[in-house]
This record gives sequence, C-alpha cells and structure tokens, in this order.
Amino acid sequence: MGVSTRQIIERYGTFFAGVLLFIYLTIFADNFASVPNLLNILKQVSFLAILSIGFTFALITSELDLSFAHVCSFSGVIIGMLISDGVSWQLAALVGIAIGTVAGLINGLLVTYLKVPSLIATLGTSSVANGLAFMITGGVAFVGRWDPNFLFLARGKVGVVPLLVILMLIVVVLALVFSTQSKTGVHLQATGENEEAARRSGINTKRCKILGLTLSGVAAGVTGVLLVSNLSSAAPQMGGDFLLLGIAAALLGMTMFTPAKPNIFGSFVGALIIVMLSNGLVLLGAQYYVQDILLGIIIIASVAVSASVLKQAAFSL
Amino acid sequence: MKYKRIITALSVLAGSALLSGQGLAFDLGVVAFQMSAETHARCANAAEARATDLGWKTQVLNSNGDLQAHAEQIDNLVQKGVDGLILCMSKPVEADAQFAAAKAAGIPTISVVSGTSPHTLFDVQVNEYGVGADSALYLLGTINFEGGVLIQRFEANAGTRVRGKILDAVLEENKAVKVVGSHSMARTKSWRDDVRNGMQALILQQAGKFKGIWASFDGQAFIIDDLLKEAGYKKGDVSLVSIDGGAEVFRRIKDPESMMTATVSIPFEEMATAAVDSMKKIAVDGMSKEQVVAGPYLFMSAVLVDASNVDQVLK
Repeated sequence: MGVSTRQIIERYGTFFAGVLLFIYLTIFADNFASVPNLLNILKQVSFLAILSIGFTFALITSELDLSFAHVCSFSGVIIGMLISDGVSWQLAALVGIAIGTVAGLINGLLVTYLKVPSLIATLGTSSVANGLAFMITGGVAFVGRWDPNFLFLARGKVGVVPLLVILMLIVVVLALVFSTQSKTGVHLQATGENEEAARRSGINTKRCKILGLTLSGVAAGVTGVLLVSNLSSAAPQMGGDFLLLGIAAALLGMTMFTPAKPNIFGSFVGALIIVMLSNGLVLLGAQYYVQDILLGIIIIASVAVSASVLKQAAFSL
Repeated sequence: MKYKRIITALSVLAGSALLSGQGLAFDLGVVAFQMSAETHARCANAAEARATDLGWKTQVLNSNGDLQAHAEQIDNLVQKGVDGLILCMSKPVEADAQFAAAKAAGIPTISVVSGTSPHTLFDVQVNEYGVGADSALYLLGTINFEGGVLIQRFEANAGTRVRGKILDAVLEENKAVKVVGSHSMARTKSWRDDVRNGMQALILQQAGKFKGIWASFDGQAFIIDDLLKEAGYKKGDVSLVSIDGGAEVFRRIKDPESMMTATVSIPFEEMATAAVDSMKKIAVDGMSKEQVVAGPYLFMSAVLVDASNVDQVLK
C-alpha cells in the first residue's frame, strides 16, 4: 500500500510550494531570512492565524462564519471604550473575548435551532456587529497611549521572541490537539463530514455546530484584544480586512495535509504563506497592486481545489 | 539535465530583473494609508515621481485604509532596510511602535498630513484650522451670512474633523445662518455610498430651505454636486464649498452645469515633493534636520480656488 506521487502532491503540494517560496525569497529578497524579519513575519501572521483557525473550526463542522472579522472589530471597539473609560485592561480584555464568544454562540443557535443557513446567519451577525461598532464609536476610533502592560501583550518580547508569537503558537497547539486528539474534536469532524451519520451514531451534531461557530467567535474576540493592544487604538473596521485573508488562509489550508478537508495546521500554514508572500513582495520591491493580484490568484486556485467542501458548507440547509 | 539548466537560467533572469537597480540608488519606501482616496494617491504618486526624477528606487505601498496592514507595511519596509520612509496620511499613534522601530533602525521618516511623532523628522502640513476657516467664511459670504445650510462632515479623520470644528466656531458667531441638516460620514471603505445615502435624504427633506452646502473634503462634494444635478438644481441655486483641490474639482468649478463653487486647494503634490526634497537634503546631502525644518511641521500654503482664479490652476 504505497503512497502514490499524486497523493503526495495532493497532500503536500501546497506545503512544498510554500517551502519553495521560502527558498526563493531567501535567495532573492535581501534580509528575508534574517532573524528579525522571520520574527517579524511570525508576529504579523499571529492575528491572521488565530482568526483563520477560528474560522476553520466552523468549517470543520461544515458551517461558514462570515462574521468573524466584524465581530473582531466590535470586540476591539468595546475593549477600547472600556479602557478609555478607565476600566482595567484585564477586565476589558475579558469582556472583549466574552463578546466574541457570545456572537459565535448566537451564530450557532441561529444555525441549529432557527435553521438559518450559516452563510446568511453569519452575514446578519456581521452586519449587526459592524453597526454596533459604528454606533459606539460614531466612526471615530478610540485612540490612546494606554497602559504599557496592555500594549506588552502584542508589542512585548520574551527574550528576542515577540510575546504575540508565543501566544499564537499556544493557540495553534491547543487547537491542533483539541481538533485531532480530543473526543469532542473528533465529533466536530464527524459532524462536518457526514452530519446524518454522525447524528445516528449518537453524536450531538447540534452541539458540535454550536461549538464550532462559538470557537470562531472566541478567536475573533481574542484577536480583537491583540489588535487593540498592537495598535493602541480601536476602530470600527479594524478587523475588516481579515475576512478575505482569513478565508483565504483556511481554503489554502484545505489544499494540504488532508486534501479538501479543513484542518487547523493547514490553516496555520496557509496564513503563514500569505503573510510570507506579503512580506517577501515588499522586500523584493514589488508595488502595492502586485500583492492584491497575487492574493486573488491564490484564493481562486485554493477555492478551485477545495470547492466541493466549500460548496457544502455554504449552501447546505 | 536540460530542464535543470532552463530552470537555473530562468531563476537567474528573474533574480536579475528583481535585483536590477538595487545598487547604490537611494531606496525610498512610500506608504499611503488609503490609495482609493484621491488625496492619499496624489501624495504617494507625487512622492514616487519626484524620487524617480532624483534617480531613486521607490516602492509604493497601499494600506487600503487598514491600520494593522499599515503597521505591518512599515515593519516590512524597516526589515527591508530602506534608506528613507515617506508616509502619506499615516497614523502616528496607532503605528507608534513601527515609527519607533524605523527610528531605531536609523531610517529617516517624514510624514505628510499625518501629525507629528517623536520618531519622525517632521510632518508636512497645511494649517487645517486656517483651511477650515477659509472654507467656512467663503461659504457664508456667498449666502450673505444668512439662511440655511447643509453640512457633510467626516469625524474619523483628524484633518477633516478640525475643519468641521472651525466651521462650527464660524457658525457660532453668525447666528443668522442655520444648519438645517447635517450628515456625518462614518464608513471609510464604502464612504461614497454613505455620503450619497445621507445627503440624498437631506437634500430631499430640506428642499428650498438651504442656500449653501459645506463638505469636509472634495470627494464628498462631488457626490453632493451630482445629487443636486439629479434633483434639478442649476448653477447659482446653491453654493457648494469644500476642501482639497485637484483637477476634478477645478473642472467642476468651471463647469456651467455644476454647483461646485469653491475649494480650498491643498498642494498635496508640492507637499510630497517637499518631503522627498527634504529627505534628500537630510539623508543624502548630510544637512541637519534643523537646517531644513526648524520645528515639528513643515507648513505649506493652501489656496482658495473659485471662478475668479480657476483658469490659473487649470493651466
């Protein structure tokens, strides 16, 4: 039972492409492989990786969460408002994560009990979160030179390693272990792969879908905390651009390791490839529009490869 | 073997193409916060053009209005080791850590219409307070300091917010002018829709009750101008005044069908050019920052453009 070349390409093709990209950039982009730049890349990938891992949990249960970017912004705005009002940053951060969690839970309840397709339900939640963020801010960001301890979360270093990178790696490992080694994680995957079969085998599929979408909300809340810490400000659309990138990372992840299946490590590597490409293009001297063009090509290519699962997640009722 | 040779040759060619010009030329990084805004694009494009004239290698990045992307792009340029940074409409507070990293790496940074930072050499600015006053007084003058006006604001940007606050101060002193409707643009990414929806409602609701409209920047005024035309207004019915300048607003001021009355023209191209020239003096010619600009700002003058002088700026 040998593994065919085709299977190897299917499983590791994208990963090898990422490795080749790394080698290419190491050779042709000055400073790319320097330690400060590699740490810079890891720091930059943190936000995207955490968000895309959250999105992947929803996708594992065959549901889409299109609200995570605006929930992240809304969570950030609440944190900014609380800190500006003198609330301790620790409490504000907890409230921010709680908001993400509740938003995810609402998504889960809408999908499982009201039977609203996740594509529609999460678009609705996204719109509500966006509206609330603008209602609170009036469009004007909360900006301040806040408590250095809070800013340390995203800007601090442990030795030479940014704390943000350590936090991200903790999230990646926890998510990976949970999704592949725990009973609940296996139930999530079974629910996504064949809901009816999973239900008949005694798995509470409703609970699994609620959990998948809630974890996506948790990730949005955590990223909201880290973004506000990194930028020392909270704007109503601060997470908006992560929607496309987060989806792209998860889709890219679906093209490797377990082809056509959402997987945590794949999403992490997908996020890493996107950020590495973005950083490498800057170091190569590419103009801004080149990055958008390449990102679009990556999304189209990865969707083409993983289209069947995405279609199932987007349109299943 | 044949394929290996071809791949090697292609790699060398690609590498050579990418590395061409990476010799001793000054490497300038330009970051614009949101290139979809005309003023940001004018700043970045002018900086690039001037740097190219000087024989410099220039890389322009667009943050697409995203704060995190903006911070990351500055980080990436610092890692690239550019020789200088010019930031158009940047965010000194939000990207404070990145500004500090650039300074720590010895990269001189000049911002344009961004506000000052302890980590930059200086900020190239017009006096937004003066610009706001010019536009407000001009508008009120055209309606003889009485009657109703509509206001289109933008509070999320420091410059446009200041303009709006100065307008409020001018209105406070001129009680015969009544604000019959005010809309504040909140969304930066879909701002055109936001302005169109808000002002369309106000123009319909307050029809016949306003003689003037003030917009916090020209892009908003273009949308309002089109709405007024759609609503059947003719030149002279309403005075429309805003701020920024540029070819399109000058065209509209001259257009007999347009309500656009005046703009306070901010010389974004000259400001970006001055930023590049100052960078050359400091980073290439070895002049001290104080010899080039004494304080935290390099102020430049804005010019009020209306029918009386639009032909001069259109030349």
